Amino acid sequence: MSVERPRRVLVVDDEADVRDYLKSALTDAGFLVETAVDGLEALEMVQRHAPDLISLDLVMPRHSGAKFYRALQKDKLFCRIPVLVVTGHARDELGRADFETMTMSGPGVYLEKPVHPDSYVAAVRRLLGMEGKESPKPTSEDLRRELSRALSGAGSDALQRALDALRKKER
Amino acid sequence: MNGILDKELENYLGRSLFELVPFNVSVIDREFRVLAANTNFEEYFGEWRGRCCYDACKGATGPCLNCQALATFDDGRVRVSDESGVDRHGRTCHYVVHLAPVKDADGRVQYVIEMTTDLTETRRWRREYDLFFERVPCYGSVIDRSFRIVRGNEKFRQAFGEAEGEFCYEAYKRRKKPCSHCPAALTFSDGAEHVSDQVGVHQDGTPAYYVVTTSALSRSGRSVAHVIEMASDITKVHELETELKRAQDFYESLVRNAASGILALDAAGEIRIMNPASRALLNWEPRRPPTAERLRTMLPPDFFGETKGNEILMNLPEVSLHAVGGGDVPVRFSAVELRSHGASLGRAALMEDLREVKRLEHERLEAERLVAVGQTVAGLAHTIKNLLMGLEGGMYMVDTGIRRSDAERIVNGWEILQRNFEKTTALVKDFLSFAKGRLPELSPTEPNTLVRNIVELYHDAAAKQGVELVLEAPSEVKEAMLDPRGIETCLTNLVSNGIDAVTTLGHGGGKVVVRTREEGDDLVFEVADNGCGIDQEVQSKVFTTFFTTKGGKGTGLGLLTTRKIVQEHGGKMEIESLPGQGSTFRIRLPRSRLKALAASAESRAADERKP
Repeated sequence: MSVERPRRVLVVDDEADVRDYLKSALTDAGFLVETAVDGLEALEMVQRHAPDLISLDLVMPRHSGAKFYRALQKDKLFCRIPVLVVTGHARDELGRADFETMTMSGPGVYLEKPVHPDSYVAAVRRLLGMEGKESPKPTSEDLRRELSRALSGAGSDALQRALDALRKKER
Repeated sequence: MNGILDKELENYLGRSLFELVPFNVSVIDREFRVLAANTNFEEYFGEWRGRCCYDACKGATGPCLNCQALATFDDGRVRVSDESGVDRHGRTCHYVVHLAPVKDADGRVQYVIEMTTDLTETRRWRREYDLFFERVPCYGSVIDRSFRIVRGNEKFRQAFGEAEGEFCYEAYKRRKKPCSHCPAALTFSDGAEHVSDQVGVHQDGTPAYYVVTTSALSRSGRSVAHVIEMASDITKVHELETELKRAQDFYESLVRNAASGILALDAAGEIRIMNPASRALLNWEPRRPPTAERLRTMLPPDFFGETKGNEILMNLPEVSLHAVGGGDVPVRFSAVELRSHGASLGRAALMEDLREVKRLEHERLEAERLVAVGQTVAGLAHTIKNLLMGLEGGMYMVDTGIRRSDAERIVNGWEILQRNFEKTTALVKDFLSFAKGRLPELSPTEPNTLVRNIVELYHDAAAKQGVELVLEAPSEVKEAMLDPRGIETCLTNLVSNGIDAVTTLGHGGGKVVVRTREEGDDLVFEVADNGCGIDQEVQSKVFTTFFTTKGGKGTGLGLLTTRKIVQEHGGKMEIESLPGQGSTFRIRLPRSRLKALAASAESRAADERKP
């Protein structure tokens, strides 16, 4: 089993907090992460060193995500880079038109804000064809956290079934 | 004959009759010498004594070539002859002469008596009559008792052809029978003059309109033998009348069916036109129009003022009419002076009903408001999504930081949580102010005072960030009905956006200009910066949703709130921007709509005061 080189992801978002958050989530999952504040900066960074995937916000000042995406599609090399759209505007007037043209002709994969870190990382993996592979073995801490999250969202039936399952195993 | 009477008669016949007969009488002998003549003769031809007849009557030196007297001397017969001679003034004269022989006992003609009657005057009259009859500029004809045309004049012949001998009804009207109302028949029966309007047919088949006068021309015994018909052609007049009537009908139906109310007074102030639309506007039901005094209570008083020589007396975009029953009807009112050849004929008012327009305007404002509400809800959802994204991120950082005992990450995550908590607080605050007060509280406000206050308030803060804040408030900008606090909020938002836009560039020379301006009916506020500018794609969207270009700083509600306030003032917002060169945000408030808003706010307030 060859050691895969770490994948590089470019996170484009105008909000610093969102950039920090997505960067941390991806770094924790073993990715190399770079960030850009808008489409223009993102384009410069892609040209300097093309990433394996781009995580893109749609509505940004200066140079929007859609514009950036169009510029990207014009380039023979860059048009193959998978793009994951992360937006809060998927269904409102500001983002819909851009969003539709992009998902119809382009990546077809998007996440609507707010994004849960697990589903975000899972989407990135899926786009990169990394499903089932190289997923680091989860620690018991991770498992416990996931369990508690599942518990907090579960109904009483589900809780009962989970409890039954645990008891059976212990026996 | 006998006795004294015979003597007297003989004397009379011999002397006085000679003098009294209404002829010029002379007696000549065979040598043509005038032996005797009466006074008439002398007055007509002059001195006769010692002269021959050809000399006395014609001024000739010898007997006439065709002398009728000579013939009478020869055959003793009475003759009548037309002659021309010279009167005592030397003028040519015409006369008829009767020649009668005076015979001796043997039957020989000794003398001839010449009795002449003057024809000069008669001939002149005849010529004049003929000329008059022929050339008079109307159809002239003479008809006899059987209605046959004895004679027609030149104009008659031109119009109806050579019709002598035809029946007059045939000639004038191409009828086969006499007319039912015949003025000529009346004149034949009573001898008096009659006048009537008739319609005939010209030779070319076109109708002939004429007024005919019939007069008795000659009488035989007690009855009228001939009637002269003089007919004036009024076809042209008739055509003009018809044309005039058509023109009048045209304008009348135009006025009657006009959607606008039209009301016209003559120079004396009496109502001459009140079309159905104006009746409806004034709720006036009686057939008779109101009196001038009554009308004064209904229309704007200026309508009755002195004219100042302008054709357009007034033009009011909106004014109230006081209709019957006390209702006020909003109309667009204009008044014009009616003139003909520089003289005033009166004045007219044109009134356009504004009730429907106002209703639609109200509906439009309402619809705009609903759209804004919908957009606000969508925008709010988006903002909340972004906040949740921040909270999600913060929680992840804190969570993973604790698990890894990574203090830096915990602090970082905690700060994200704090910032998003603050943003949530700011959003709630902004949203409350956005949602507050659906109607602006209008009061008379000086736009220039408003912008001056804003500039003073932000001047120092801007200067600290290296931004120059400039005021341009020309004095022609006049007071308006505004919600001063609302507009202040708008301008504050725009100025703070402007300052952010120029500081984003990160170099000096940043400038934000706050302006007021009058543009036609519009009161305009403008905030212009030379900052980063706004992307074309984004420009169309900045007013329609929560939107922030300021990373974490803004809530995205500033422009939305601004637009809402502007819309509530009946105005609109415009944006001009070139990326890298700057942006101009413009608030455009039509003064007519501000007035309408103030009026409806007033009537609402009045309604609320009612129990």
